[in-house]
Amino acid sequence: MRQHAFAILVGLCATTVQAATPAELLAGYQSAAAQQSAGFQPSAQRGAAFFANRFGQSAKMPACTSCHTDDPALAGRHVVTDKAIKPLAPAANAARFTDAAKAEKWFRRNCTEVVGRECSAAEKADFIAFLTGGR
Amino acid sequence: MDRILVWDWPVRIGHWLLVGAFALAWLTSESEAWRLVHAGAGGTVVGVIAFRLLWGVVGTRHARFASFVRGPGGVRDYLLGLVSGRPLHTAGHNPAGGWAIVALLALGLLTGASGWLTYNEVGGEWFEEVHEAMASLMLGVAVLHVAGVVVSSLAHRENLVLAMLTGMKHGTPAEAIRGARPWAVPMLLACAAACAWWLAR
Repeated sequence: MRQHAFAILVGLCATTVQAATPAELLAGYQSAAAQQSAGFQPSAQRGAAFFANRFGQSAKMPACTSCHTDDPALAGRHVVTDKAIKPLAPAANAARFTDAAKAEKWFRRNCTEVVGRECSAAEKADFIAFLTGGR
Repeated sequence: MDRILVWDWPVRIGHWLLVGAFALAWLTSESEAWRLVHAGAGGTVVGVIAFRLLWGVVGTRHARFASFVRGPGGVRDYLLGLVSGRPLHTAGHNPAGGWAIVALLALGLLTGASGWLTYNEVGGEWFEEVHEAMASLMLGVAVLHVAGVVVSSLAHRENLVLAMLTGMKHGTPAEAIRGARPWAVPMLLACAAACAWWLAR
């Protein structure tokens, strides 16, 4: 419930404040995760393991790496449409994680299909921590 | 009044192809695994509409835009007639339905164009928002269209859904079309398939 309220809040903020930074998005997910589990700290290691994990929910795209390659700093390729995908890592693609609503939208779409459920705020925080290469 | 042929084959096949392709595109819109199918379905929508625009000029009598697109006055008169219980009967599309068709064709093209731009990452990212807004609007107009079909079917005591399958409606023999032009169907299908392939690749 709190996670949904947070997502709505994030969406509302995004319509008024366009430019955010990956650090701001990470902080948002971190505080949401801390409400569910006190003292939560994002972990780039957990994020890396999540990124590489073969969830196996989708035959065509069992893992994040199916389309985004093993290295998030590299351009990926959509396994179904063969269209190029720009790098996920903000260091390689400055537009990533600068729009909270867009990040939420793509987490929802891709988590549902690849992970088989919506991702938690903790998973999203870890994911951004990994992609930004910090902590 | 007699039962006469008003809808030719390209109109009928095109209509149901549009229904099926739009529904498929809507249902696959949230999925990456189905994204190729989504783009193909969207391309089919565009192909059917492209053919329909041409057919609206060279097609049979009731398929032509000039025969069923009316001004606001005509639509108002039809809707007032519907409310008063004495709706004006037309052999082809009624004036309100005519506007729904024009809106659906326009929205289908706008949805397809913004979808293609998003799919190929041409232009700004805001095309993604435009694409979703246009598709939602198109679904809204489709719902209104179906509601209108139900209301008009009851008002005219004429099953308009069945008419879009059989091509037959109430009318005078002079209003009938002479042939159903089945030979144009392969052209419609070729246009739909070519657009589906080209826009999804």
